[in-house]
Amino acid sequence: MDPMPNVNTLSPWQPGILALGVFALMSLVLIIAFLFLAGWLGEKKPNPEKLRAYECGILPTGTARFPYPVGFYLIAAFFLIFDVEAAFIFSWAIAFHGLGWAGWLQISFFIVILLISLFYLWRKGGLEWGPTARKNPVSQEMSSLPSSTP
Amino acid sequence: MAAVFTPRFDLARFGAEVLRGSPRQADLLIVAGTVFKKVAPVILRLYEQMAEPKWVISMGSCCNSGGMYDVYSVVQGLNQIIPVDVHVTGCPPRPEALEHALTILQKKIASEEKPARSVFHLRGGTQGTTHPILVDGETKSRDTRGPGMEGIPIRGTSVTPPRFWDSRSDLMWTPPPRWIEVTEGDKSLAQHLKERFGDALRQTPETSDMVTFHVETGRSKEILRFLKTEASPRFLRLDDLTAIDESARRDQEPIACYDGTVANEVGGNGKSARPDRGAYPDYTLVYHLLSFDPPTRLRLKVGLTGDEPVAETITDLWPSANWYERETHEMFGIRFKGHPDLRRLLLPHDWEGYPLRKSHPGRATEMAPYTHASAVEHQPLDAAAFVKQKEGDQELLVLNMGPQHVGTHGVMRFIVALDGERITDINLDIGYHHRGVEKIGERQSWHQFIPYTDRVDYMGGVANNLSYLHSVETLAEINVPERAQFVRVMLSEMFRINNHLVWFGTNAHDVGAMTPTFYTFREREQLMDVIELITGGRLHPSWFRIGGLAMDLPEGWKEAVDAFVKLLRGRIPDYEALITQNPIFKARTQGVGVLSLKDAMEWGVTGPNLRACGLEWDVRKKFPYSGYDNFNFDIPTATGGDCYARYLVRVAEMRQSLRIIEQAASRMPNGRVVTEDYRYAVPEKKDTLQDIESLIHHFINVTRGPKIPKGEAYTATEISRGEQGYYVVSDGLNMAYRMRIRAPGFANVQVMPLMAKGRLLSDLLAIIGSIDYILPDVDR
Repeated sequence: MDPMPNVNTLSPWQPGILALGVFALMSLVLIIAFLFLAGWLGEKKPNPEKLRAYECGILPTGTARFPYPVGFYLIAAFFLIFDVEAAFIFSWAIAFHGLGWAGWLQISFFIVILLISLFYLWRKGGLEWGPTARKNPVSQEMSSLPSSTP
Repeated sequence: MAAVFTPRFDLARFGAEVLRGSPRQADLLIVAGTVFKKVAPVILRLYEQMAEPKWVISMGSCCNSGGMYDVYSVVQGLNQIIPVDVHVTGCPPRPEALEHALTILQKKIASEEKPARSVFHLRGGTQGTTHPILVDGETKSRDTRGPGMEGIPIRGTSVTPPRFWDSRSDLMWTPPPRWIEVTEGDKSLAQHLKERFGDALRQTPETSDMVTFHVETGRSKEILRFLKTEASPRFLRLDDLTAIDESARRDQEPIACYDGTVANEVGGNGKSARPDRGAYPDYTLVYHLLSFDPPTRLRLKVGLTGDEPVAETITDLWPSANWYERETHEMFGIRFKGHPDLRRLLLPHDWEGYPLRKSHPGRATEMAPYTHASAVEHQPLDAAAFVKQKEGDQELLVLNMGPQHVGTHGVMRFIVALDGERITDINLDIGYHHRGVEKIGERQSWHQFIPYTDRVDYMGGVANNLSYLHSVETLAEINVPERAQFVRVMLSEMFRINNHLVWFGTNAHDVGAMTPTFYTFREREQLMDVIELITGGRLHPSWFRIGGLAMDLPEGWKEAVDAFVKLLRGRIPDYEALITQNPIFKARTQGVGVLSLKDAMEWGVTGPNLRACGLEWDVRKKFPYSGYDNFNFDIPTATGGDCYARYLVRVAEMRQSLRIIEQAASRMPNGRVVTEDYRYAVPEKKDTLQDIESLIHHFINVTRGPKIPKGEAYTATEISRGEQGYYVVSDGLNMAYRMRIRAPGFANVQVMPLMAKGRLLSDLLAIIGSIDYILPDVDR
C-alpha cells in the first residue's frame, strides 16, 4: 500500500486557528454545562451507606489497601511489555515499503528476541495462574467402601 | 422469580431487562421470598445503598406479611423495615403475577409520582412510595385474632404445649404403631453390644423403623466409636444428630384428665395424667447411624438432665457432626464438650434463647416486634470471626460472598480469605433462610404440616410431601393403595427432572454458558404445565395426603405425560451437545472441587454428589419405598468426585427418571387413590356423601386432624438433592411432638470448604453450581 499523496486538503498545517478556537470554546461550554447539570439535577438524599463499599449486604472487613500479591504485578508488567512491543511492530508495518529488507531483518530479530523471552516466561511459570499442582495437592483416593477408618 | 426471565415469560417485554447484581445499578428492589430476622439487616443495607430514585416490590405472601410462617425467625412483613410500593400475593406468586406487579408499578409511577419533578427541583413529585413503614401497635396489629377479639384464646393454643387443655386427641383411639420384626443382623449386633457394654445400653423392645438403643449418659461416645470402627456391620455414616426436649411429654395414660375438658368428664377415672417426670429425661439426644453394607440404620438415644446439659462431642468421630452439634446447641441449649467452634449456626449470633425448647415461643407474633431499629441493631457477625486474616506474615483479602449474591443460589454467605485469587481460608455462614419449620411441625396438625414440607426443598415439590408422609405412614402403619404409590413415584420423578433442568441451566450459567438456561427452562415450563394439569399447582402443589393423594389423576394426564417424556428424551441430547464436550466447561469443572469417596461418607454427603464419587448408593434401591422396587432403573455413578462427575451423574439421572415416569404411566394400576383406613386419611368426598362414618372422619381429620399413635419413626427418601429424612415423634396427639428434618443440603454444603480451599475464587462458583443446594433445605 502506497502512502496517500499528501495534498493540501487534509494538511494539519493550514491556518485554522479560528476553527480550533471555536472547537475549544464549545468543549469548554459543554464540559461546564455537563458538570453543572450533573451536580444540580437529581434528588439529593445523602446517606453514609451509599458511600460504603458494597459487599453483598454485609459490612466489609479489613482494608482493601494492602500489598497485593506479586502475581498481579507480573501479569500487569507482561501485558505492558508485550503491548509496547506491539506498537513497534505496527509502526514498522506502516513503513514497510520504505524500510525494505533491512527493516525486515531488524524487526525479525526483534520478534525472535520477543519469542525467546515469551518462552522463557512460559518455562519459568510466569504465565501460570491459579493453584498449581504444587500448591494444591489433590487427593485422589478413590477407594470403594473403606473397610476401616483411621 | 427465576422463571420470569426465561423464554415463556420474558420479563424484558415489560421494560425490566437483566437483573442487576448490585444495588448501585438498580432502581428496583424485588424482595422475593421470606424475610428472616437474620437477613433483614442485609435487606435494609441493600435498600439504603441504592441510588435515588428507588422502588420496592414485595413478592410473595411471606414477604408481605410473614404468610404461613408465623414463626420465631421470620419478620412479619417487609414493610416493617423498608417502604414497599407494590405487594405481590401468592405462595409462590406465578411469574405472571410479578409481571403484573411491574406494570402496576409503572402505572403508579406514571400517574401518581411524577418522579422527574424532584429531579428538576420542582415541587410535588415523589420518587418511590411516600407511605411510611408500619409501626407495631400503631399502624399495624400483629394480633392473629384480629382487632376486638382479645377475649378469645389464640387459635391452636388450646391444644399445644404446655397446656393442652382442650386437646381431644386423647378421646380418640388408634391401633398401636407399627412394630418391626428384628432382623437376624440386628439381633446379633444387639447381642454383640450387650456383651461388650453390658448395662450401658438397653434395647428398646418395640420400634417402628429401626433397632434402637438407649445409652447411658456418658458412655455414648465409646459406643458410637465402636459402632463406627469395630461393629459388624460398620455404621460409617452419621445420618443425623438431633435432640428432643422432653419437658412437655404427657403421661402414658391414654386419657388426659385436665380440669374442665371433655376428656375429664368422659374418661373421668380421677387419675391425673400430668407428665410423669420420671419416665423421661429433660432432653434426649438422638443419633441416627447408617451402614452402607448391608444397608441398615440404627438409632441411639441418650438422656440428658439439667437446664444446660452437657454432652461429649463426636466431631472427632464424624467431621459432619460439627454443624449438627452446633445446631443442637443453639436450638436446645445442649453444650458439647470439646467441640471446636460451638457458636450459633442458623440463628443470628446475638439471638437469645433456644427456639426448639418447648418453653420458647414458636410464633413471631408472640415475641417482640421486629422493627427498623432491630434491623439496624442486629448486624451479621463480622467476617473476621470466620476466617484467618493472615497466612504467615501475609495479609489476606477477606471477602463476603453473599448473602446477596447472584452466584450463591440464594441467601448463603461465604466468607473467603484470598491470597490473590486463591482461597486460603473459607467458612460458611448459613441460616439466612431459616424458617423454623421444625418448630412449626410441633403446632400444625399432621395434615396441616404437608404444605410446609413442599417449601423445604422448593424445587422438589411433592417429593417433599412423600418424605414426610413416608415417615408418618411408617409410624402409623398406613397402607397406601398401589395407584397412589405409582402416582407418587411418577410425580416425584417429575420434580426430580424439574430440579435437574433448573440445575442444568444454572450450573452451566455459573461457569459462563448462558445458552442452556433458555433451553432447559423452556422444557421446564412444559413440565410445569403437566404438573399443573395433574395437581393444579406449579412449585408447591401439596398434593399428597396421609394415605394417598388429594384426588385422582385428571382426564388427559396420560397423553400429557407421554408427550413430555417423548419431548424431553429428544431434548437431553441437545443439552449435552452444548455442554458435555464443551472445552470451556470441561476446563472449568474437571479436577475442580474434588471430593474423595471416604470424605463424602464421613461428611454425610448424599444424592448425586455421593454417586459422583463412585458409590452406587440410592435410597430408592437400598431402602425401597412407595413401590420403587416395581420399577426398572439404574443408579448412575461417575468417578472422580469432581464438578464434572457430578454433572454427568445428574444428566444420567434425568434419563433414568424419564424411564421411571414412562413405566409408571404405562403400568398405572386402577383403584383407589387414598387408603380405606379413614382413621388417618381425609376420606374421599363421594364417601362422605354416602355414609356418616366417612363424614365424621372427614370432619375430624380436616379440622382437628388425625391422632397418630405414640411412637417415633425415621425414614428417608431420595429427593433430587440427596437423602431427605423425616424423624417424626408422636406423643399421641394431633400434631407431632418433635418434627426433625434431615436435609441433604445441610450435609452437602458443610463439606464445601474442603473442596474449595486452595482453589481459585472462580472455582468456588463452579463448585457451588455442581453441589446443587437450595437454601430452605439447608437452613430449614
